[in-house]
Amino acid sequence: MSENNYLQVDHLVKYFGDDRAVDGISFGIPEGKFLTLLGPSGCGKTTTLMCIAGLHKPDAGEIRIGSDPVTSIEKRINTAPEKRNIGMVFQSYAIWPHMDVTQNVAYPLEIRNMAQSEIDDRVAEALKIVGLTDMADKNATQLSGGQQQRAALARAMVFRPRLLLFDEPLSNLDLKLREQMRVELKRIQHEIGITSIYVTHDQAEALVMSDEIIVMSKGHIEQTGGPHNIYARPVNRFVSNFIGVANLTEGRIVGNGGGGAGAIEISQGGESVQLPCLLADGLSEGDDAYLSVRPENVDASRKPMDGPRIEGEVIQSVFLGNCLDCRVKWGEFEWKVLAHSRERLRVGEKVYVRLDPDHTLAVRP
Amino acid sequence: MATDTAAPQIDVAPPRGWRTWFTQENIITTIVGLIVAVAVIVPLVALVINSFLVLDDLGFDTEWGLQNYRDIFHGHVIRKALVNTAIISTGCTILATLLGVSLAWINARTNCPFREQLEPFNLIPFFLSPFVGAIAWHNLASPKVGLINNMAKTAFGIDFPLFNVNNLWGVIWVTGIFFAPLVYLFVVGSLRRMDPSLEDSARTTGAGLFRTTMTITLPLVTPAILSGAIIVFVTTAGEFGVPFKLSAPFGWETLTTQIFTKAVGDDANHYLGAAMSMVVGVVTAFFIWIQHRIIAPRSYTTVTGKGFRPNLIDLGRWRWLAFAYNLSYVCVAVFLPIICLFFVSLHKIWSGRIIWSELTFWNYQKVLFFWWPESIQAATNGIINSFILAFGGASIAMVVAIIVSYMIHRTKGFGARLLDFLSVIPIGFPGIVLAMGVLVTYIRTPIYATLWILLLGYITRFFPYGQRNISSIMMAVSEELDQSSRMAGASWLTTLRRITIPLLKPGIFAGWILLFVIFLRELSISIILYSAGTETLSVGVYYLSNFENEPMTSALSIAQTVALLICIVIFRKVAGKEALTA
Ligand SMILES: Nc1ncnc2c1ncn2[C@@H]1O[C@H](COP(=O)(O)OP(=O)(O)OP(=O)(O)O)[C@@H](O)[C@H]1O
Ligand SMILES: [Mg+2]
Repeated sequence: MSENNYLQVDHLVKYFGDDRAVDGISFGIPEGKFLTLLGPSGCGKTTTLMCIAGLHKPDAGEIRIGSDPVTSIEKRINTAPEKRNIGMVFQSYAIWPHMDVTQNVAYPLEIRNMAQSEIDDRVAEALKIVGLTDMADKNATQLSGGQQQRAALARAMVFRPRLLLFDEPLSNLDLKLREQMRVELKRIQHEIGITSIYVTHDQAEALVMSDEIIVMSKGHIEQTGGPHNIYARPVNRFVSNFIGVANLTEGRIVGNGGGGAGAIEISQGGESVQLPCLLADGLSEGDDAYLSVRPENVDASRKPMDGPRIEGEVIQSVFLGNCLDCRVKWGEFEWKVLAHSRERLRVGEKVYVRLDPDHTLAVRP
Repeated sequence: MATDTAAPQIDVAPPRGWRTWFTQENIITTIVGLIVAVAVIVPLVALVINSFLVLDDLGFDTEWGLQNYRDIFHGHVIRKALVNTAIISTGCTILATLLGVSLAWINARTNCPFREQLEPFNLIPFFLSPFVGAIAWHNLASPKVGLINNMAKTAFGIDFPLFNVNNLWGVIWVTGIFFAPLVYLFVVGSLRRMDPSLEDSARTTGAGLFRTTMTITLPLVTPAILSGAIIVFVTTAGEFGVPFKLSAPFGWETLTTQIFTKAVGDDANHYLGAAMSMVVGVVTAFFIWIQHRIIAPRSYTTVTGKGFRPNLIDLGRWRWLAFAYNLSYVCVAVFLPIICLFFVSLHKIWSGRIIWSELTFWNYQKVLFFWWPESIQAATNGIINSFILAFGGASIAMVVAIIVSYMIHRTKGFGARLLDFLSVIPIGFPGIVLAMGVLVTYIRTPIYATLWILLLGYITRFFPYGQRNISSIMMAVSEELDQSSRMAGASWLTTLRRITIPLLKPGIFAGWILLFVIFLRELSISIILYSAGTETLSVGVYYLSNFENEPMTSALSIAQTVALLICIVIFRKVAGKEALTA
């Protein structure tokens, strides 16, 4: 399986002093795909990326690009960053202020001793792809944030690297530009078909752009999967909490119907209910688990609905137009509900909460 | 799809042991660190060792002992020198701090008229030689030949000398006005870039202008003021030229003038000189340590963003008083001394009054025309040697500074931390102390009595200044700029050549000129390490002042001052206005 991957990282470990910044992670990515490392600040995303780039030397593990082992601590291989043929876009863009846009983009080609005519062609082409043709003679300091971003991308891809690395490239932009650049970046990546690794702590960014997402925390991988999979089927409490909004409460597996279906029992204030749910891998009857269900898969109504009964009191109700954003207090627990019903639920009312069993999950703690 | 999620827990211990130590970074930084360490540490170690060697009565043999230290604390002359040094340093620190803080406040935070035009002049003394300042003030205000005293006599018939700078007060006065810019530079940056909301919020609570200045503004810059004051204290304790000119001939010796007599002269005793240097060095190093470890880390971050203008205080009619105060400082620190020296240098004999009919450029011929057989060798040699030393020294020191800064900020090897530590040490020791160490280390090697030993002394003592210049830029320049060059395929060396160095260029030029200026006026290292033929400009001035006359001394002083002033203009051009402010 891993032989098909264009980039393969195996058992990567990196220490800073005694801290394991990266704690033995492994993953791979097929050619031409867009992989995102997603996780909270300090979880080791940048460090992983730096190891792939060759700017940090890991303490253990292997990294292979195509058939070329660029890092193997066991075999004492650690190719210098400049020999790896990898393009990288930094958080600060790192556009060299003493050169203009053209000089910045031409730099990697000059380093490779290309003929001037070819350099000119390639630079023009790269600038066209990122939409900076008009800015070619501008100095780096005259560019706006978004333009610097594009220039950095042009510079990173102009020499047709094997791999493109992005370290939170959009985090310095304002919201509107960020949303626009997400789509743009993804379009360009798709257009040139280059294998890319993207680091971010912004889940929306990851969901929009990626073919595959790796959720990390504290130096290890929590879950790997496509955007839809990560959102709809988080495997543990961390992922469920980190991606999107979820109702999360402690419970115990009480039934295993096979094929991933089962039931979870949750209790509040002496009251317990058993809810049909989908079980995450590795959970079986009797295990402690967490119930995870997204607000849009929870409904509330004055009339009792079929299925297990959860009765609570509305403590907040905000009309959003297409739905109603409510909080329903059940014992000590507050259900976050996006109610689809046409009823105008008011604060203080008693209501019944119903979870969609197809989207109710039992996840690992 | 293509990943194995549950990676087996693998057991790798944190990197330890000698094997992991041998990385490229560690090896290279350690080698450079060792070279710098040898240059910095060996003279200091030699100083310690020599201070415990006692010269016997015949002056030939030595034995181990504490007699040198006993002499220092019991000998009458030396003990008095110790007291004098303490008085001068304290007095100068008070004066320089008062001047520096008030001028910085006036220029940065009030609507004093012409403050922007005055500021460059406020900083000029920072670049000039205090020794020359002392010579100028000697000619302005010594009892007999003082121009001011004589003018007062002619104009108002005042018969007794109005001023007398030939004592400790004179030394405090001259060092105080010359070192005021040091405090100024420490303070003005934080005053100027202070977030106005810090003061505005005090105003909204009902505090008046004066109250806000006293309770908010000044306390916020107190760490900067203390840092500046300590630097001044230490610099004064190591100052040789001013007490040598103004107070020593009249019976007020200081430790530095005493060290000087032990280093050169007829009854030279290097071992006793080393012990005295130790005393000065221990005190100054202690103060610098306090400044680095305790005061500098406590300075407040008053700068929260950029691009705002601090509140200017409207002084009303008082602003003209502030202007007069500022202008008076510029007069006594810059204009008066230079004008006086100029007039003195045009006389064949100086008697304390200007004789318009006898003005001549003869002195300039004597000290500048090196091709002229009647020129004075010590002066003409000094000019040539100083330019060689300043040019070569600044260039080599900047190369060292770049390498050292690069290693401190861009590598993580063991040597990086060593270098960081080593480049603070020379700042803790006055030039005369370090020079004493260099002297006892190399006196029996072939480099003694050549320009090389001076070069070594200069670079060792002053490369940290260049290093700080480079470091501040290197910290501001993101490491990602280097890294993206590596990713673009450039090797480490190509990156250095095409990205790192070009980005540092302004800092390199500014640092180079700063060192050039420092070397061009250097006295306290040169006076210990020079010998016949390797005089420097300031040594030439010393020589003329000691063995020739005041007009000739003034002529060479003016020549040095003009060279320094030219450097200031160039410095301001390349470095911009804010370059010096901390
Ligand atoms: N050069 C370094 N020296 C020491 N520790 C480091 C260094 N770089 C990173 N670390 C530590 O390693 C851990 C992982 O850092 P890393 O930069 O990889 O996090 P990150 O996931 O990129 O976070 P962020 O989203 O904030 O950029 C952090 O705890 C950090 O403190
Ligand atoms: Mg990061």
